[in-house]
Amino acid sequence: MIPLLKRLGLNTYDVDSTSHIQVDTDKCVQCVGKPCTISCPAGTYEASPDGKIIVHYERCLECGGALVICPYGAIKFRFPNGGVKYKYG
Amino acid sequence: MSFDADVIIVGGGLSGLSAGITMAREGLNTILLERGEYSGAKNVSGGRMYIHSLLKLVPDALEKAPLEKPITKETYLMFCENNKKISFSFEEKGKRNSYSVLRAKFDRWLANEAENLGLLISYSTNVYNAYREHEGITLETDKGALKAPIVIDASGVTSVVFRSLGLRNFSPDKWMLGVKEVVKGNGLEREEGEAITVVNAIKGAKGGGFIYTNKDTLSVGFTITFDSIPKSEKPAKDLVEEFREKMGIEGEVLEYSAHAIPYYGYKNLPRLYDKNVIAVGDAAGFLINDGFTIRGMDLAIASGMVAGIAVKKLVESRNYENTEIYYKMLEESFILRHLELAYNRFSVINSSLSLYPDVICKVLSDMFTVSEDRRTLISDALIRLKESGITLGKALDDLRKVVL
Ligand SMILES: Cc1cc2nc3c(=O)[nH]c(=O)nc-3n(C[C@H](O)[C@H](O)[C@H](O)COP(=O)(O)OP(=O)(O)OC[C@H]3O[C@@H](n4cnc5c(N)ncnc54)[C@H](O)[C@@H]3O)c2cc1C
Ligand code: SF4
Repeated sequence: MIPLLKRLGLNTYDVDSTSHIQVDTDKCVQCVGKPCTISCPAGTYEASPDGKIIVHYERCLECGGALVICPYGAIKFRFPNGGVKYKYG
Repeated sequence: MSFDADVIIVGGGLSGLSAGITMAREGLNTILLERGEYSGAKNVSGGRMYIHSLLKLVPDALEKAPLEKPITKETYLMFCENNKKISFSFEEKGKRNSYSVLRAKFDRWLANEAENLGLLISYSTNVYNAYREHEGITLETDKGALKAPIVIDASGVTSVVFRSLGLRNFSPDKWMLGVKEVVKGNGLEREEGEAITVVNAIKGAKGGGFIYTNKDTLSVGFTITFDSIPKSEKPAKDLVEEFREKMGIEGEVLEYSAHAIPYYGYKNLPRLYDKNVIAVGDAAGFLINDGFTIRGMDLAIASGMVAGIAVKKLVESRNYENTEIYYKMLEESFILRHLELAYNRFSVINSSLSLYPDVICKVLSDMFTVSEDRRTLISDALIRLKESGITLGKALDDLRKVVL
């Protein structure tokens, strides 16, 4: 299996200087399953030991899933101005 | 009140460009906003386009469009427990009904066609909000605000305009995630293209895998409903790799991509029009998955064309609220009819498709096994269904829905 970061590295990104994703981590602390860490194809959401979520926004593949994966509505998402650029698609 | 254009299209994918081409031909003053640096920069599909709509939009597309290969061979592969699997193929050489495509190339070409017809496209323009103002719609973008009396939302599944107007309510069971890899050519000896549809490749995942052959590459991908990802054997980030390895596909991986897919079904379609706004393509939820075909691209092109004609009527009548005419035109087109036709099969796939492969495999395994205690096909099937907790009534009802 090719590791995720290596696969993401195949893509061209034009990373914005600020994050296009905001997570209300107060909600995450209460969240048991942390589905965002499982459902994001780019591994954007990582659980930290204190129960909060670290957002690796620069990995985002802009699939749109952020709008449905959090059952508590903790994720605020809009598309980045730069972001990923596919060659094949 | 001054507007920036008669009509603004948000999104320069297939649906937006098709609307734009139609309106450019009708001579409407149109602006298209696309957040990618070029059309297709952000777009992903499995990669098989049924070309009937494209040929209506661009009649000489077969000569000009960057299509990959005509698909003339279909293979079905169904995994079941204990390493059993079923497969069958169907070949129809010379058929020219669908082609594999790669969207970064294809959409860019279509955008170029549109610009040649005079459509104004503003790239790298990200729309992030929309609201009603002065009998029209104002769009907020990273390049400033733009206003028009009518807006076509062609921004794909995330439908930014309808969402901003409070006309969308998304949920993880009504969206699928598609993950995909493009792999450098192998298994491409066959001159015409092949589509492989794979069922039950990853346990717990409500969805399936696909492989399409392109000219120099393979498109390998997996689709799964968002609500079933936490129940699947693998997390989203590993799905396509797991699938590729299970299929034994080797070769250099050139790209890894992901995109959401609307999965509403005819009876749950979201709002398609409202005063001053019209939704097309994925933004309208126009996607068909009936177990035999995944179709969004032909519906995107066709709905964009219908929207273009509807908007022309609105502009001529100067009555921008009467967007219901778009719906009436959709009803007359194949779009809603095909969505409705597919709904029964869609509902079976959605509720119980994953139950059947194991039953079918058990029955086939029994038939190909000879021992003293042998049953007829029918009595064996009935026993195996019962073991899996499927009543005969349910099986017959599902069968009826799939066939009718
Ligand atoms: C993995 C996968 C496999 C698929 N397989 C098939 C298949 O084999 N056959 C088939 O027919 N269909 C398939 N589909 C479905 C098909 O890709 C879609 O139905 C089709 O792309 C819809 O076209 P569209 O123009 O409506 O939307 P999109 O192609 O999503 O285009 C939307 C456009 O809007 C732009 N945009 C989005 N938001 C904004 C914003 N806020 N501001 C400005 N611009 C914005 C985007 O950059 C994009 O260019 C598949 C989809 C996926 C994900
Ligand atoms: S973002 Fe949502 S799903 Fe993810 S940990 Fe926070 S509350 Fe849970």
